[in-house]
Amino acid sequence: MSMTTSATIILAAMVAAYIAAKIFKISTELSMLAAALVGGLVGGAGLPARHIAEGAFTYLDICLIFITATLFMNLLKESGGVAFVVRRILKRFHKHKFLLFIMLAVLMLIPGMLTGAGSVTVLIVGGMVATVLGYMGIPKPKAAAIVFVIAGLSAAAPPVSLWAMLTAAGVNMPYVGFFLPLMIPCLVLALLTIFILGWKSKPVDLEQALKELPEPPARMNWLKIVLPFLVFFALVIAGRIWPFDFPIMGLPLVFAFAAAITLLLSPVHIDFLDVSRRTVHQLLPLIGTLTCVGVLVQIMTLTGVRGLISVTVVTLPAMVVILTLFLTLPVSESVLMWGAAPVLGVPLVLLFNTMNLNPVIALAGMSVIWPLGDAIPPTAIIGRLTVETVGMKERYSTFLKYCIIPAVLIILVGTLMVIFSKKLAFLTVF
Amino acid sequence: MIITILYYLLVAFVVFLMGWNLLKSKKWQEEVLYVIVLLPFLLRLLRLK
Amino acid sequence: MIRKTIIITLGLILLVFSGLSFYKSRHLKEPVVIGPGVTQVKKLSEYFPAIKGSANDANVYVLEGAKKGGALLVLGGSHPEEPAARLTTWILTENATLEQGRIFVVNSANRSATTVTRPSGAYPASYTIKTDWGGQTFRMGDRWANPLDQWPDPEVYIHYPTRQNLAYMDIRNLNRTWPGRANGTLTEKTCYALVELIKKENVDIVIDLHEAELQYPVISTIVSHQKGLDVAAMASMVLSDEEFKMGMEKSPLELHGLSHREIGDHTNAVPLLFETPEPFLDATRGRTDEKLLLEGKDEFVVRAGKRGLLFEKIDEKGWPIDVRVGRHCSTILQVLDVWSQDHADKAVALRNVPKYDEVIKKGTGAFLRDPSKADPKLIYYE
Ligand SMILES: [Zn+2]
Repeated sequence: MSMTTSATIILAAMVAAYIAAKIFKISTELSMLAAALVGGLVGGAGLPARHIAEGAFTYLDICLIFITATLFMNLLKESGGVAFVVRRILKRFHKHKFLLFIMLAVLMLIPGMLTGAGSVTVLIVGGMVATVLGYMGIPKPKAAAIVFVIAGLSAAAPPVSLWAMLTAAGVNMPYVGFFLPLMIPCLVLALLTIFILGWKSKPVDLEQALKELPEPPARMNWLKIVLPFLVFFALVIAGRIWPFDFPIMGLPLVFAFAAAITLLLSPVHIDFLDVSRRTVHQLLPLIGTLTCVGVLVQIMTLTGVRGLISVTVVTLPAMVVILTLFLTLPVSESVLMWGAAPVLGVPLVLLFNTMNLNPVIALAGMSVIWPLGDAIPPTAIIGRLTVETVGMKERYSTFLKYCIIPAVLIILVGTLMVIFSKKLAFLTVF
Repeated sequence: MIITILYYLLVAFVVFLMGWNLLKSKKWQEEVLYVIVLLPFLLRLLRLK
Repeated sequence: MIRKTIIITLGLILLVFSGLSFYKSRHLKEPVVIGPGVTQVKKLSEYFPAIKGSANDANVYVLEGAKKGGALLVLGGSHPEEPAARLTTWILTENATLEQGRIFVVNSANRSATTVTRPSGAYPASYTIKTDWGGQTFRMGDRWANPLDQWPDPEVYIHYPTRQNLAYMDIRNLNRTWPGRANGTLTEKTCYALVELIKKENVDIVIDLHEAELQYPVISTIVSHQKGLDVAAMASMVLSDEEFKMGMEKSPLELHGLSHREIGDHTNAVPLLFETPEPFLDATRGRTDEKLLLEGKDEFVVRAGKRGLLFEKIDEKGWPIDVRVGRHCSTILQVLDVWSQDHADKAVALRNVPKYDEVIKKGTGAFLRDPSKADPKLIYYE
């Protein structure tokens, strides 16, 4: 039997297992796990304990980031810090919509730029921003769309853009020259998003808003909120400025320090163990998805299914590939998350290389489109996280509807960057 | 070196939290998911992978 | 309650079986039966004590000729997932003799990376080379050092000393951490130790053995620092003429952390890096297993080739391990030939290393020695 036939059969069995699991009301995470296990069985690997465990390892460090960052945010919320900030921002800026929007967009870009993870943006500032937007008369699904889209752009923005970094590493291309090709589209698109979706917002009814917002503890002040963030940025930036004298901390530990400081400075008593347990419970779907995706990719690689998908993609006509990027990139992201970069990004960049496109610009264009996939079911990891953080009660599809306009803009910009990458090569200066 | 030890402590803490939640959980799907998610954390903690 | 017990028990079974598998492959012993040419076996920590006792305190096999001459350092296992590189160093340490000069061979340059396989890569735990006496099993390994030896990674890896930004996990990639850093991470320290070796032993040429996916433009070639272009060009010309097609390219000036750039910039040695084709590494590869690793046959990679996406030819015959090891052996011999002609006083005259045709004819296993029949004093473990 040819490899194509066998891989196609295994893929079909995996898809069938996934659908069957879904019919039996099994969660997306476990359905993916079921697909992986069936893939292993049909692929003749039995129940390969080693491969299951190794796949589960794929995103261990990212899981640690999520846990520590969310713990930090939850502690900040418990201490009354979030309520404090929201009230102060409203008081200061409620009359200047234009300034407020620019400030919120930049505020949202920063965490993801530095960490490469849109979820960190959602967790750190997403909730607060959504609250402010809410008092400007923007409905929650729309606010969620703003937070989600800008969070995705923040993840694609330099200096840390994981899709670009992972793909560049996969083709042994140095991660240099990406700053402007990533920064310019991300900044422009973030501002466009908040202005377009926020266009119909009303000036805040300050008195009403302040009456409804929770009252922060009396002893809360700016210092207690800013200090943990300062420590966070100081540690990250110190690692950048003195990389050879400052110890390598890694993001999880930096977040853990910020969390510890928040806990120490809290004006109210916080039950740390209880908050920690709730944090882990709250994150279970997200971490579970990451873990099961890892197992799935490992089994797909083991059985040749991953190769079938890759080779099918790269052997399609080049123009078809470019014009369907708007579909393939988000879908691959929704299935594999960052795994999409090594699985799909690497063959795509190699394909573009043979077409004489500029790989840096083309990859930057792709990196802007990729994060959109984080809203697409079945995984929809960051989309779900956003909806949860924002506290939206409406149907998920309402949120998706509001994402369409910015998504179209992003797709347009990204695809044009790929097509005209050679003309834009002057941007790859640093 | 100290930082690496802090990471193992962090992983141990996460294992503790997840294990606790697992024992308290009432839904079978949640329990299976906790077990799968715990796997890499435990293997790292035991310095097996 | 019963349900929970069953779920937890199943989890524990998974934990035990996978844990055992990881433990076994991490601690799999790889014997080297040193050949007649080896005069000393040193430890890398003798050149830089800070790595003593670490996973990367590799063996350094020293071969010395009766006649004084030049010095060569051969690195296998910079990327352990590229098996032809390590197998070539086994052939050298178990068979080679030296008439003139000195050769230093490191079979496991990034030893930590030999003890781990890549998450979501679905690599086999080990691979076995068939021999007349059965076979010898090697740890599969990965491109990056084991997180058990170096954890955590930074959020972006800033290369020392150029400050070039690289992907975060490449701080565990030995071919991105040259020239190394004395107070850096384990991988950086390992490069530092190797640079110390190069300086203290007055090494003239460093050969860094690799393999590459066929989608990677740098393949079937000698990559040379600008200092070594003459040698590389001449060697690739003769090889292409007499044995197999071999390219030559100059190490890019702005690509940092790589052996063919930094060793040349920071020491007196001429660094050369050899690449052979390894379809196992291709992103479009199909079923991932030991067979693909050693036979190099893959339908999907062939399809990608027909679409013009590859930088090396591939057909249904694939790229078997013997062809790849043979290419490395012949390239080493050819480089030394060219070098020795140009530098008579620093010549290195290597004997009893099979050439390309011979490795293909007899198989790589024919050049591995049976540890069960060897004098235990001659056995070293990688
Ligand atoms: Zn390599």
